[in-house]
Amino acid sequence: MSPDRPKRRPFPWIRTIMAAGVVGALIVLGGQMLEQERVGGESPVTEAGPRVPNAVFPTDTFIGKDVPQPINYSHKLHAGDLNINCLYCHTYARRSKVAGIPPTAKCMGCHTVIATADEKPEIEKLTIMWESGQSPAWNKVNDMPDFVHFSHERHLQKFLFDNPDMNVEDSREVCAMCHGDMVEVGVAKKMRPLTMGFCNTCHENNDGPADCTRCHK
Amino acid sequence: MPSLLGNIFKGWADYSKGNEEGGHHDYEHMYALAIDLDLCTGCNACSTACYAENNLPVVGEDKFGARQAMHWLRVERYFDEPDMDKIEDTNATDTQSRGASFLPMMCQHCNAAPCEPVCPVGATYHTVDGLNAQVYNRCIGSRYCANNCPFRVRYFNFYDNADSWPAPMDQQLNPDISVRSKGVMEKCSMCIQRTRAARDTAKREGRELKDGDIQTACQQTCPTSAILFGDLLDEASAISKVWKRHQVKLGTYKQDKENPELRGYRIFEELNVDTKVLYLERVREV
Amino acid sequence: MATKIDRRNFLKVLGLGGAGAALAGCDMPSYATLEEGEEQVFSYLAPEEYMVPGIGVWYASTCLQCAAGCGVHGRVREGHALKLEGNPDTAVNKGKLCQMGQSALQTHYNPDRITSPRIGEKNVTWPEALAFIKEKVTGAPVWMTGSISGHQAVLLDIHLNASGGGAHYAVETVNAQVWQAACADALGDAQPNLHIDKALSVLSFGADFLGTWISPVKFMADYGAFRAAPRGVLTVVEPAMTLSGANADHWVAARPGSEAAVALGVAQVLATAYSVSTSALPSGAADAIAAMTPERVSALSGVDAKTLSKIARTLMSNSPSLVIGDGSYETAAAAMMLNLMLGNVGATITPGVELIPTDLGVRNGSTKALADFATDAQAGRIGTAFITGANPVFTAPGGLKIEDALAKIGLKVAVAMFEDETTALCDVVLPLASSLEDWGTHVPATGAGRGEVHVQQPLMEKLHPDVLGLGDIMLGLAQDAGADGLEDFEDYYGYLRTAISAMIGADLEPAWQAVLQAGKVQAPAADRAFTANGAIAINVPETSAPTAGQLSLITTARQGLFDGRHANLPWLQEAPDQISKAVWDSWAEIHPATAAGLGLKDGDYVTITSDSGAITTRVFLYKGVHPDAIAVPMGRGHTHYGRYATGIGVNPLSLLDGTADARTGEFINTTSVRVHATGDNRHLVRLMDVDSQYGRKLAATISADQLRRNQANKQGSA
Repeated sequence: MSPDRPKRRPFPWIRTIMAAGVVGALIVLGGQMLEQERVGGESPVTEAGPRVPNAVFPTDTFIGKDVPQPINYSHKLHAGDLNINCLYCHTYARRSKVAGIPPTAKCMGCHTVIATADEKPEIEKLTIMWESGQSPAWNKVNDMPDFVHFSHERHLQKFLFDNPDMNVEDSREVCAMCHGDMVEVGVAKKMRPLTMGFCNTCHENNDGPADCTRCHK
Repeated sequence: MPSLLGNIFKGWADYSKGNEEGGHHDYEHMYALAIDLDLCTGCNACSTACYAENNLPVVGEDKFGARQAMHWLRVERYFDEPDMDKIEDTNATDTQSRGASFLPMMCQHCNAAPCEPVCPVGATYHTVDGLNAQVYNRCIGSRYCANNCPFRVRYFNFYDNADSWPAPMDQQLNPDISVRSKGVMEKCSMCIQRTRAARDTAKREGRELKDGDIQTACQQTCPTSAILFGDLLDEASAISKVWKRHQVKLGTYKQDKENPELRGYRIFEELNVDTKVLYLERVREV
Repeated sequence: MATKIDRRNFLKVLGLGGAGAALAGCDMPSYATLEEGEEQVFSYLAPEEYMVPGIGVWYASTCLQCAAGCGVHGRVREGHALKLEGNPDTAVNKGKLCQMGQSALQTHYNPDRITSPRIGEKNVTWPEALAFIKEKVTGAPVWMTGSISGHQAVLLDIHLNASGGGAHYAVETVNAQVWQAACADALGDAQPNLHIDKALSVLSFGADFLGTWISPVKFMADYGAFRAAPRGVLTVVEPAMTLSGANADHWVAARPGSEAAVALGVAQVLATAYSVSTSALPSGAADAIAAMTPERVSALSGVDAKTLSKIARTLMSNSPSLVIGDGSYETAAAAMMLNLMLGNVGATITPGVELIPTDLGVRNGSTKALADFATDAQAGRIGTAFITGANPVFTAPGGLKIEDALAKIGLKVAVAMFEDETTALCDVVLPLASSLEDWGTHVPATGAGRGEVHVQQPLMEKLHPDVLGLGDIMLGLAQDAGADGLEDFEDYYGYLRTAISAMIGADLEPAWQAVLQAGKVQAPAADRAFTANGAIAINVPETSAPTAGQLSLITTARQGLFDGRHANLPWLQEAPDQISKAVWDSWAEIHPATAAGLGLKDGDYVTITSDSGAITTRVFLYKGVHPDAIAVPMGRGHTHYGRYATGIGVNPLSLLDGTADARTGEFINTTSVRVHATGDNRHLVRLMDVDSQYGRKLAATISADQLRRNQANKQGSA
C-alpha cells in the first residue's frame, strides 16, 4: 500500500496565464500611450522646421540595399555638384502618379555635347543603348506593393506648388521628405522606410487624408 | 495609434449625429446612381465594360455554376408574372405575351450598409464620398460581409485568378486598380479609380468637381444611357434632379411621395439599409 | 482538486490568457524592406510630349467587331490599349459601345492569335509565304471577306482587277439582305434611314434591331428616344424571343416561317376594320392581303384573331409607326407593305445617304455570296481563294457541304487572326493585325451622319511583330499583280494618308492630325430619293408547320458571340446570354408544353437531327418560344478556335440544309428537325436559376396608362 503523499498546492496555471495576459496588455497599451506623447512633440521621426515650410518633415532614416542599375548614374554629381533640379529629370512627378525615370533623350540632350561617350564609359554604355533603340532596364528602388496607389502629383501640389512659402527651385527639400537627401548618393538608394506607418505618421502630422481608399483601391 | 478612448470622446459629437443632420460623416460627396429600367434593354454591355475596367477575372463554367463568378455588375432577367403563373401547367400552350424585365444589379452603396459593421478587421467602411469602400489588402476573408449583404453583390476570390489572364491578356489589366488575389472580397466601387482621377484633375486645375466629370464604366458604355451617376450633394447635378423628380429621399425607408405612382424606387427599401441606387420602373403598355 | 491543464480546461485557459494579449493590438514598427530592386522600369527613349507615364492617352479609331462600324476611343497607357469607349463624335454610336466592342481588347490580346505565317503545318517567313502564293496561284484569284467598305475595299477591287478579274464574295451570316431587297423593290433605295426615335409604335417581324440587326448601338440610342415622351409602343412577332422581343410591350409567338402571314393578316385587319387603303401597294398585293383572313393566319402561324386586332389597333392608335422585318424576303416585303399602307414612307422611313465617292461604300455581306462561292468552287471555277473576315466552314449550312467545295480549290490562302475551322483547311495562313493595330477607313452600316467615314488607326504597336494589316496585305498583293498607280506607296498608311488628304483637300500634318483626332473624315454625300414602287412578290407558303412529329429549328445570332466569331473571347463566353442567362455552353429553347410532350425537363440532353446533321445539347424550357419551334442560338460549337471556344457547345448552323430564299438567295435559318432525349441530364449553368421575382419589387413595371396619368397630373413628373 502506497504511503500517503503530502498534499501540495498545485501550481496555479490558470491564474498565472491570466495575469501574464493582463500584464502584457498593460505593457503594450501603456507603450501606445507613451508613444502618443511622442507624436507631435520632439518626435524622433518628424520635425517641424525650416526644410519645407508649413510642413512637418519626416526624419527617420533607413539603410537601403545597394540596387545595381544598368547605368551607374550619380545623383551626387548631377543633383549635388551640378545642382540640377529634381524635376528637370523626374518631370512627370508634377503631373502624374509616378515621378518617372527620364527618357534617354533627356540624358542625351546634354551628353551628346558634354561628358560624351568618348570620355565616360557609362555614357558610352548609354549611347550604345540609345543608338540601338534599347531602353535601359532600371531596377525599382522606391517601390510600393501593387495594392498601394501613390500619387506624386498630389504630394507635390500640397508641399511644393500650392505651398505659398515654397520655391520650386527648392523642390529637393520636398523630394527629400520621402527620398532622403539624394545629393549624398550615387545610384539611387532607398532612404526612408516607406512603410505604411511612415506614410501614416506624415499624414497625421500634415493633415493628410486618413481614408483607406485614398491609397488602397 | 491614437488612444481608443480619446477617439471616442473626441468623436462623440460626430457619432451622435442623426441621419437628418447628415449622419456621422462629414460627407464631401454623396455618389449615387439612377438606373432607368425602361431604357435598359438588357444588352449586358455595362457588365462587360465593368470586367474591362476593373480587372475582373473570368472563372469558367464550373466555378460560375458554383456561384463563384466575379461579375460586380450583373444584369438579372425576370419574366413577367402573368405568364409565370402558368409555368407549372405544362399543357398550356400559351406563350409570353410580354418581354422580360432586366435589372442591372451592383453594390448599392448603402448608407446604412449591413456589410460594414460586421467586418472583423474594418476592411469595409463608408467613405466621405458616400461610397462603401473595400480595402483589399486589409481583408482577411471572413466573408461575413457577403453573408450580410441582402443584394448578394459581394464577390469573394475563392481562387487565385492568375490563369484568368494568360499572356498577353495580362497586358490589358488596368494599373489604376489592384488585381485581387485569393482570399479577398471585392465588389463594385462605383469606379473609384475614375472618381479619384477626376478629383485629382479638378484639384490640378484648381476648380471644383462638376457634374459630368466622372462617368462610371457602366454609365459610359450603356447604349441607351440608362445608367446615370453623380453627386447627390450637388443640387445642380442631373442625378439630384432625378432623385428629386421621383421624390425619393435618403435616410428613410418610407418615402413620402405626393404621387405614389412616381417611377423611382429603391430595392429592398423596407430593410432600411438606405441604398443609393435609384431604379426607375419600366413602363409597358398593358 | 488540482487545477491541471487537461483538455477540458485547455481552451478556457487559452481564451483567458489570449484575451489579454489580444487587447494589446499590435503596432510593432517594422522596417522590413518591401520591394527594393524587385521590379523593373523601362524608361522611354524619346516619347511624344503628351506621353506622360501614369496618364492615359486617348486615340480615336473604329470598332470592327461587327459590320456596324461604331467609332471608338481607346485609352492607352504606356503603350498598351487598356479600355475602349464609344467615340462621342461619331453619329452612329454617339459615345456608346456594346459588349462586343468592349471585348475587342480580348480579340487583340488573345493568347491564341496567329503570330507567324504558315504553309501547311510549318511556320515560315513572309517572303517564303508570298513566294509560295505567287508560285501556286492558278487562274484569277477570288476574295472572300465579310462586309467591307472604305479604302480596303478599294484596294481589294484593284487587286482583283489587276489579277484577272476574279470575284469578290462578301459573306455575312448576320445580315439584313432580305430587308434591303424589300426596300430596294418597294422604294428604290436598299438602305433607307429608319427613324425609330420618331416613331410612336414599332412593329418588328423578327428583326432584332436592338441585338444584331444592321446597327444595334445606333438603334439602341434611338430606342431611348423612342421610349421618352411621347412614348412609343414596341410589338415584336417572332418564333423565339430575341433581345428586341425581350423589350417588347407586346410579344407574339409565330410559327417559324409564318411571320409574313401574320404581317399580311395585320394588313387585312387594317384594310377591313380600319379601312386603310391598299391603293398605294403594287398590284397583286391587295389580293394577297384580302386572302389572308384571320382564320388562315391562325392556321399558318398560331396567332389568333384577337392578337391580330390588337396589333392593328396599336399601329392605328400610335402613329407614325415603323414596321421592320427579317428572316425571309416575304417577311420583309410584307413589313414594307404595311409601311406603305400606313404612310410611314417619308415619315419614319426616309431616303438614305449616298456617298459621292461610291467606291468607298459598303459591300454588304450576304449568305447568297457563300452559296455562290460554293457553287463556283464545286464547278471548278475557283483556282485560288483568299479568305479573310469569314469562317465559312463554321457558318455555312450543313447542307451546303462547304468542305467539299473548298477541297476543289487549288490554293487557299487565309488572312486571319485566329486558327479556325476554315484556316485549318487552307494551304497558307497569313497572320492578320487586330483592329487595334491597324489602319483603315470604314463606312458605318447605316450610313448614319451624312457622309461620315470612320477612320481606324492603331492604338498601339503591334503585339506580335510578324502580323500585317489587311490594307498592307492587299496593297502588297495589288502591287505584285502589277496594278497601276500604287507604285509610290510603301505601305497602307502612305496610301491611306494620300487618299484621305485628297478627300479633305489638305495634306499638311495638322489637317491629318485633326482627322485622326476626330476618328472620322467627312466625305461628300447626297440624299437618295425614293422612286416609285416596284413590284413586290408576296409568296406566302401554304404551310409553315413542321413535318408531323418534328419541330422547326430556328437559329438566331445574339449580341455577344454573334455568328460565332467572338466565341474565343472569355468575357463574352462568361457574359450571360441576354435571354436564357446561360454561360459557356449551348442550349435549346423549347416551350414547356412541347417539352412535356417529349418527356423533357430543364437540363435534359436532346439530340436534334436534320437531314444535314445532328447536334446534342441541353434544353431550356420557357414560354418565349413557339410550341412548334426549338430555338438554338448560333455562336458556339467550334471544333477549332482556340482554348476558349474549342469543344464548347454545338453549332446549329450545321443542321440547316442550305435552302435559299427565292428572291434574294439568302439561306433560310429554319429547318425541320427530329428531337429526342438522350437520357442524360445536367444542370445548365446560368446566371440565375429563377425566372420569377416571387412578388418582390425588384425589376418593377408600371403601366403606360399610369404613366400618362402621372404626366397629366403633373405631380412630380414621370
